[in-house]
Amino acid sequence: MKKVKIFVVCFWVLFLTLSAMLPILWAAEEYKVTAQDLEQYKKIVDDPRPYLKELTYKKILPPDVYAKLTFDVEEMKVQWAEVVGFRAPDEVGKIAPEIKPGTYSYKDKAKYPGLKELMIPLHYEEFFKPGGPPFVGCFPEIKVVPTRQYYLALPIAKATKENIGRTKLDDKGLIKEETYMAGVPFPKPEGKFKANQVIYNLLKRYIGHENQYFTATTRGFTRNLRIDQDMVNEACWIRFKGRVFMEPYGWYDERAKSVGEEFSFKFFYLSPRDMFGNVMTSMKYLDPDKYDQMLLYISALRRVRLMSATDIQDSIGGADVIYADSFIYSQKLSSTIFPYRSEVIAEREYLVPFAILDGSGYMSSKGMELHDYEWERRPMYVVKMTQLDKNFVYSYRILYIDKETFYPLLILNYDQKGRLYRSGLVISAYFPEMGMFNYTSDVMMYDHLDMHSSFSRTFVIPAPWVGRKDINMRGLVVKGK
Amino acid sequence: MKKKKFLVLFLMAGLTVALTFSSAIAEEFSVLGRPLHLFGYATQEMSFGVKDSYDTEKGLNSALMNLFLEGDYEITKDLKFYSSVMLTVDWIYQLKHSDSSWNDKLFSKSKNNLNVDGKYWQVLKEARLTWTPGDFMFRVGKQIVSWGELLGFRIMDQINPLDQRRGFLDVEFETTIIPIWLFRADYYPKIKSSWLQDLGFEFVWNPNVDFIPNQDIMAGNADGGIWAPNVRLPGAHLATAYGNISTPKRWEEGNEFGFRVKANMLGAMTTFNFFYGRDNSAVTKLIPPFMTPAPPDIFASDGKVLLHPIQEGKYPLLKYVGATFAKELTPLRASFLGDVAPTIYWEALYAFDRTFTLTNTLSPFPDQRFGKSDDFRTGIELGWKVRIPPLNARTYFNITGEFFYQRIMDYPSIEEIAGLKKNNYQTFLSINTSYFHNKLTPSFTWIHDINTNSNYFIPKLVWDLDYHWHFTLGGQVFSGSKPGKGLTLFDNKNQIYFKVAYKWG
Repeated sequence: MKKVKIFVVCFWVLFLTLSAMLPILWAAEEYKVTAQDLEQYKKIVDDPRPYLKELTYKKILPPDVYAKLTFDVEEMKVQWAEVVGFRAPDEVGKIAPEIKPGTYSYKDKAKYPGLKELMIPLHYEEFFKPGGPPFVGCFPEIKVVPTRQYYLALPIAKATKENIGRTKLDDKGLIKEETYMAGVPFPKPEGKFKANQVIYNLLKRYIGHENQYFTATTRGFTRNLRIDQDMVNEACWIRFKGRVFMEPYGWYDERAKSVGEEFSFKFFYLSPRDMFGNVMTSMKYLDPDKYDQMLLYISALRRVRLMSATDIQDSIGGADVIYADSFIYSQKLSSTIFPYRSEVIAEREYLVPFAILDGSGYMSSKGMELHDYEWERRPMYVVKMTQLDKNFVYSYRILYIDKETFYPLLILNYDQKGRLYRSGLVISAYFPEMGMFNYTSDVMMYDHLDMHSSFSRTFVIPAPWVGRKDINMRGLVVKGK
Repeated sequence: MKKKKFLVLFLMAGLTVALTFSSAIAEEFSVLGRPLHLFGYATQEMSFGVKDSYDTEKGLNSALMNLFLEGDYEITKDLKFYSSVMLTVDWIYQLKHSDSSWNDKLFSKSKNNLNVDGKYWQVLKEARLTWTPGDFMFRVGKQIVSWGELLGFRIMDQINPLDQRRGFLDVEFETTIIPIWLFRADYYPKIKSSWLQDLGFEFVWNPNVDFIPNQDIMAGNADGGIWAPNVRLPGAHLATAYGNISTPKRWEEGNEFGFRVKANMLGAMTTFNFFYGRDNSAVTKLIPPFMTPAPPDIFASDGKVLLHPIQEGKYPLLKYVGATFAKELTPLRASFLGDVAPTIYWEALYAFDRTFTLTNTLSPFPDQRFGKSDDFRTGIELGWKVRIPPLNARTYFNITGEFFYQRIMDYPSIEEIAGLKKNNYQTFLSINTSYFHNKLTPSFTWIHDINTNSNYFIPKLVWDLDYHWHFTLGGQVFSGSKPGKGLTLFDNKNQIYFKVAYKWG
């Protein structure tokens, strides 16, 4: 009986303590945008609202954080033009100059043959048409706008300038990690390993600020455009090296430096039911021959389980991506683990749906078409990465990378028989006052062999409150079911 | 009265299904500005026996329905409440209400045990409050604490009891593990070293608010229903599994304590575990008059005598230390197999002074007593994903192989421990892959008991139409060379089954 009393007393002490702390806990609330919040500003289909005009960082972020991450636009434009040596508007307009800003329908293909020359072949042939099976994401009409200058934030420009010429590649074209500090490692790619330099610019890009929080909604579609997946997830992310926006600058901490940690993220599912409570963390290392470490809290087992970090080639739970396709492309360059021979096969302008400015682009439920996205001429690198290991799932990849910012737009992955297997199109949001592309985006992923596709909308917020506690074992257990 | 109860149950099930199939409650809610997630599923399974014998039925064996609802409410960023409820009904007792074979074999008498899971702890699965200030986590309430690494054999995972009354068939997590009232506290200190990436301390206290033991398969058709094992007795069948099992008094006895240190170091996950508590399964011994017929059912439908064993038992102390280890063996990756390295999972447990039932095999009558011995159990699992293009050009095969070893350290010289030798060995193998963009998942599982040379095979085919609808066609086959030993106790239970599941949220 005495023990009963003790337990009851302890329970009430805990309960009352928690109740008393509630106001404090509320006050210390981390700010974030959930999928439900996002849905209020823009529904996943049939919603042309320019949601980024309403759901602004100025409203979301605390004033001090917002002030720290915004910069003088004109200065950014000048600085970035100096970094890369050009402004995109000056570099385009040479191919099919008759294609002027305006709206073009798929019916205009015959009337404007220049569109064929100006567009990426996959877009022109497969997606510039009315929507309908087997894939989502057709554009029955495109809205062409004048080419803009996209610039990156002042801290990136500053770090890039400070370190220009310092980042080196070895004789195999692999980065000497000790020579890279921060910024874009090769702002003016050139020489024997030009393609590798472009790829490193992509791999080292600032996918948003160094500590951030994601929310994403993804729908999967069968070849008949029937929805077979409806997934909501959130994620945390920390970049450990080359930090220029958020303190601590440079390395995140001593441990990151001594272990050689590049970035880490935690990915957790809120739906569907079978996925709810599953949490994954991934730690990516700088060493090209060191595998990532992946831990998974499996809600069905209520356990943290070490997962195989070498499992990078199998589709993730019926999705249209493999782990090596994370963030469209994230495979490290290595001379031992699936080495590539890379080459720049084209360096020219394309008419592409490159960026989201106000968020008015949307998917329609009829035919799952994409409307109101802005297309513009962009100077681009087309990089072919030929896989030297015949056992890899892809024989080669083709990446379309923006020449002014080094942000990727499109990837085409071909299987060992040379067939287009998977592709991914990322239309990222651009925040002019920050000089930042982060992973706020609309993403279309395709499995061309299984005839399956998916549409994903992600919203990202800079989040200095994200720390190691969120991505370590504690983070797994706390977020898990 | 019975019809009324049945009608109420039917209406409850219908209402739950109707409510939950509407999209309204499949949404994420905002309550007081904080997110509330609601999920659930409904499953209906039908299994069909292929043999006709006293301990089973040819044709429809079970019609098991599960309705499951769960909710997760984030009160603040550091405080959340999770709860789940479940209704499990086996409609076979209604469907075979007037079936003469079913009644003659006494299956209908197991209705109280297996028709409706109506006890509060069967309906209320989990109800727990979690508070996560800083580097700590506190969780109080009815919950699951899962230890160990292996997927097949349960070695370290001894805190929560299991419900295995309905056998091994297509178990759902929520129907197998029984949440119990626990207090859990975790601490994750900040780590700065380069070799130690993560460290966690976990303390678990079970104050025995309510003693809920393992729900094992019961012997005798009148208790165990269609899953009663085929215990071979000359000229007789077991009818029930009556026993006077003493349980620890709530709060006063049966307090349990668990402590675990978790570390992620040098790319490996390691834990050290300590546990002091009660065994979730009872030890029982036959007491005079050992076995007796009891009116009104003296004889079975096949003319054999129906016997009721008379037993007494208890839930003895369980004290153990153990360790687990998980590591990916990257040097073993083979490019031609798809380049995924195997991952090794190992766990071992040493229990002190475990209590067993010892049977004197030289005695002409059942002579049983309780005896003690240390008990060592270990298991190793190799998880490997491999690509076999001729069989599946797109997706890998998941292969999980396990080996389990148990040694009774002080095995008696003359007496026997039922079902155990001094050294005991079992293996587990599971293979699965998927086709049509993860829609069709065939799998095959094989459990082999080396000591008794008996086997259990589970072939299964799952069709995931979408994230709502799932269909399963499966079977189970038992075989063995020693009748009445090991898994051959179930060799009349070979079945095929079909299950449909709708999940929402």
